[in-house]
Amino acid sequence: MSSLQMQPSPLCQLPAGATARVARLTGDEGFCQRIREMGFGEASLVTKISGSTTSLCLVNGMRIALNHGAAMNILVERLPAGAR
Amino acid sequence: MAPEPRSRAEITEIRADLPPHFTATALRRRPAAPVERAPIYAVVGNPNSGKTTLFNALTGLRQKVGNYPGVTVEKKIGEVYSQHGRPMKIIDLPGAYSLAARSPDEAVTRDVLLGRRADTPQPDRIVCVVDATNLERNLYLVHQILDLGRPLIVVLNMMDLARRAGLEVSRERLEQQMGVPVIPAEAVHGKGLIELRLAMSRAELPLARHRWDVPAPIAPAVAELQASLVDHDGRPPLVARAEALLLLTDADSVRVAGSTPLSGRTAALLSSWRERWQHQGTDWSGVLIQSRYEAINQLCTGVVRRTREQGPSRSDRADAILVHSIWGWVCFAAIMAMLFFSIFTLAEYPMNWIDQQVAALGDWVKTAMAEGDLRDLLTDGVVAGVGGIVVFLPQILILFFFVGLLESSGYMARAAFLMDRPMSKVGLHGKSFIPLLGSYACAIPGIMATRTIEDAKDRLVTILVAPLMSCSARLPVYLLMIATLLPGEAVPAATKVGLILLMYALGTFGAFGFAWLFKRTLLASAPPLMILELPPYQPPRLKEILRQMFERGWLFLKNAGTIILGISILLWFLTTYPKHPDPAATPDVQIAHSVAGRVGRLLEPAIAPLGFDWRVGIGLITSFAAREVFVSSMGVIFGVQAEPDDTTPIRDALRHATWPDGAPLFTPLVCLVLMIYYVFAMQCMSTVAIVKRETNSWRWPLFQIVYLTGTAWIVCFVVHQVGRWAGF
Repeated sequence: MSSLQMQPSPLCQLPAGATARVARLTGDEGFCQRIREMGFGEASLVTKISGSTTSLCLVNGMRIALNHGAAMNILVERLPAGAR
Repeated sequence: MAPEPRSRAEITEIRADLPPHFTATALRRRPAAPVERAPIYAVVGNPNSGKTTLFNALTGLRQKVGNYPGVTVEKKIGEVYSQHGRPMKIIDLPGAYSLAARSPDEAVTRDVLLGRRADTPQPDRIVCVVDATNLERNLYLVHQILDLGRPLIVVLNMMDLARRAGLEVSRERLEQQMGVPVIPAEAVHGKGLIELRLAMSRAELPLARHRWDVPAPIAPAVAELQASLVDHDGRPPLVARAEALLLLTDADSVRVAGSTPLSGRTAALLSSWRERWQHQGTDWSGVLIQSRYEAINQLCTGVVRRTREQGPSRSDRADAILVHSIWGWVCFAAIMAMLFFSIFTLAEYPMNWIDQQVAALGDWVKTAMAEGDLRDLLTDGVVAGVGGIVVFLPQILILFFFVGLLESSGYMARAAFLMDRPMSKVGLHGKSFIPLLGSYACAIPGIMATRTIEDAKDRLVTILVAPLMSCSARLPVYLLMIATLLPGEAVPAATKVGLILLMYALGTFGAFGFAWLFKRTLLASAPPLMILELPPYQPPRLKEILRQMFERGWLFLKNAGTIILGISILLWFLTTYPKHPDPAATPDVQIAHSVAGRVGRLLEPAIAPLGFDWRVGIGLITSFAAREVFVSSMGVIFGVQAEPDDTTPIRDALRHATWPDGAPLFTPLVCLVLMIYYVFAMQCMSTVAIVKRETNSWRWPLFQIVYLTGTAWIVCFVVHQVGRWAGF
């Protein structure tokens, strides 16, 4: 298994175009609940479209914008290109 | 003292005593008893799933729709007719991702569905609108609604978009799995409405076949709390179960303004279970959500089939430019510049035409009627006042047309995305920009749109700064001042556009500055977290945009025919009476003798340092009713003051106005200062009323009047004094 997959890092650090799996949610309970309710919970796949301060992501076919604070609270494991 | 949570055996005993349909596992599939009166329906669904479009199509009403989340922030009630012509009440509720509400608009939906709102009956049946392009996420809310045990109809909306995205959604399969009517629809094109109306007309609707058991570790807590809600809080059994689930897993669901607080027993039980779970360190809300999604996965088995792999969509390609870190801003600036350029160039011809008609009407009245007070009232009061404002109608229509394009296309959410970075510098997030952007049209819907903001302090900060965004009512004032300041055709439109953009920028920077200040002082709170769904772009719905544009235009004309007409007539009386004892007195002497002249002179010392005389002061007072009244007030005051046969347009009258010593009143500096005054000052009664309603107190609207009008005075004073010192 690639080392890239083992190191969860904040979603804001994921480069544009990369796909990752949500590993863990941190931060406020209400935030985690809402993120999970929107189908963005642990194990879901996310593709970063653009952004570093404000991230634009594709999750289950929907585009979701997250500000820096929110993206910091979503820890993801990057998947190798084509793994999706 | 909080009661001890009961043991598992005790809970089992409690559950055994409950009626058979009372627990999740024993939820029997049986049709709901026919309702004697016409059933009340609620339309619910995720934000931007097309609920209001469907509601409008069913009821014939014209509630506002748009392509961004959070257009509907309050419930709307209408009437739909069954196939037998029987009227049924239908409630359109704000969009929600979950019954665990995170913002005031979602709380409205939760409270109506749970029957917590004293002003709204609890719906008997529910129409769940789901976006077929994102079925699983949309079914999460439906799954929570199933807990309520109400008959429901699922509307699979946006089937055309799903097909375009390469998704085949099987209505039959979903209906079979859920056991409730499932109607495929394209609400925008009116498809599926007949089938929906037929389903709604059924005397009996089945309850869902789908069975879902609360995860075992939290089942005892749910059962105990459910029993307490039934016994001590008078909740119906199934609603009690749904509410118990919410109370246990969402701390915010307890706080409901205006509803009956929980009984002591229920509150103590809730607190006891929460403490116990906190001690155990298990995140039960996460477990619950996961359990629901597992159940939804099962429900969707065989329902959605991907017919082809989807490459980058048109929205993806557009977003590559429109939310790009550089090109995104270039496009944003170009859109704004185009808007204001159109306001000046496209509106010119219809404005000139209206101007000519108003002048011709004034001339006709002057020739058709004998000289006297009644003729003066009609020409100087009614025609000058109302005509002076009606001339701006084309520009108002163009502004709303552009706002409609932005709302309908899906660009609003992109603007919020772009603005997130600058907004974060002042302690807010991009979501706050949607209400602020809406406030460019009118602060009232803008302030109502703050209901989508989760954090109460962030919402309040957004409400406090929203009136700084220059609304459409300020446009006539700016345009009049620009026409006075830069007369004639010789001045290029770009200069005028630049000046007006400067005013909009000043207001926007002011809003950012005050937000920064409030977030660090009065309303300090942690930086907010933003999650915002960006809808796919859609071709603007021209018919809808034109409808909204004409509605706003009609409202503008209605105001001109009511409030502005009333104020113009009143102002004419105040500027005409009492009559000067000398019938040969000049208009200047006469107006100085009138009530308005005397009141104005009392006011003058406060506004003279800003370069304004008492006549401007009267305009500032009357325009507290609505900002555009300033223009009509100037029309009346300078109309009364003019010679009887003079029909000079207001802008020319202003240009020739002087102080008693003969110095010009409306110098370029004063025109600029007056525009700045209107950028900052709180000059709108309706905004004060809406802020009072939204904050539920007089404290914040009064604070807003003081800080905004105080800022306006200080900034104008500084600009005027510095300008004069610099020789302007």
